Amino acid sequence: MSGPVRMADALLRSVGGRTVLLHIPAPAIPGDVREQIGLAVPVFQDLELGPVAFRRVRAKMSSGETARTAEYELLVSATAVKKLVGSLEYDSASVLFGQAAGVVVDGQLMEITSATSAEAFGTVYLYRLGLQGAAADVV
Amino acid sequence: MGNVQVIKDTFYASLRDRVAAGNVARTAAIRGVLRPGVVVVENELPGAALDGIAPVEAFSLRWTGMRGVGQGLVALLCEIRYATDGSVGAVGMDRGRALAAMDAELLAAASAEPRAADALVFASAGAGGTPSGLGRIFWGDLAFGAAVIRAERMERVAEIEVFGYV
Repeated sequence: MSGPVRMADALLRSVGGRTVLLHIPAPAIPGDVREQIGLAVPVFQDLELGPVAFRRVRAKMSSGETARTAEYELLVSATAVKKLVGSLEYDSASVLFGQAAGVVVDGQLMEITSATSAEAFGTVYLYRLGLQGAAADVV
Repeated sequence: MGNVQVIKDTFYASLRDRVAAGNVARTAAIRGVLRPGVVVVENELPGAALDGIAPVEAFSLRWTGMRGVGQGLVALLCEIRYATDGSVGAVGMDRGRALAAMDAELLAAASAEPRAADALVFASAGAGGTPSGLGRIFWGDLAFGAAVIRAERMERVAEIEVFGYV
């Protein structure tokens, strides 16, 4: 494990080091037309992702009956992502996050709106996920 | 409402089979499985890599409109989006040809006679449907939009009206 990765993991643990769940659909069933027309829902699995740091980056407030939404940021350890990508045989972290249906934080499923990585000396040490919660769930 | 869904599902299955018959290599990888390259966006996971024009090299169907024609006949408007980056071997320099090939495939699939199909219900597992008892669905001509160029990607949207009884 490289220095930047160790440092990022240590920092994430020091600010709480919490764990969230990545909500991933099981692979599609070949030739099953019911999945193609939206009749059959895929089975989902929740995979532990940690250490991570979860924070609010921006809150949109509006008055009246308009829904309120908030945006959050999840900083994820590259070590944890690497472990998941390897064990599930995904091509890359972007494919893993692209196929995920969202992230479960404290029981709330949040949609992944973006996924970027931070590199040092050619090694990814941190992933940054943009999250959006359902309007009704955000306080 | 269920009968409207029968029209949507039957048209999707018809177009999927016709596109696959025209070019077996026209496929899309959805959740790890290769399927014929026709995808209904509203039937896939929201927020997945199916936003708008993606995936490339496949036909993405969106049901955007509906109008009553009378006597139980309805017309549903289907928007078919497709895009290509060209081939890797040609460094994308053949993207115009690749889009033309997709135009031709879609035109052949939607224009081949009969432009109608038995309305089917897909309730059981497997690739086939069973007659719904709603007669047949049929569709009109394709209306092709202008090609849109986004960086190295070429996209087009075509529209078609699909009719059926509800």
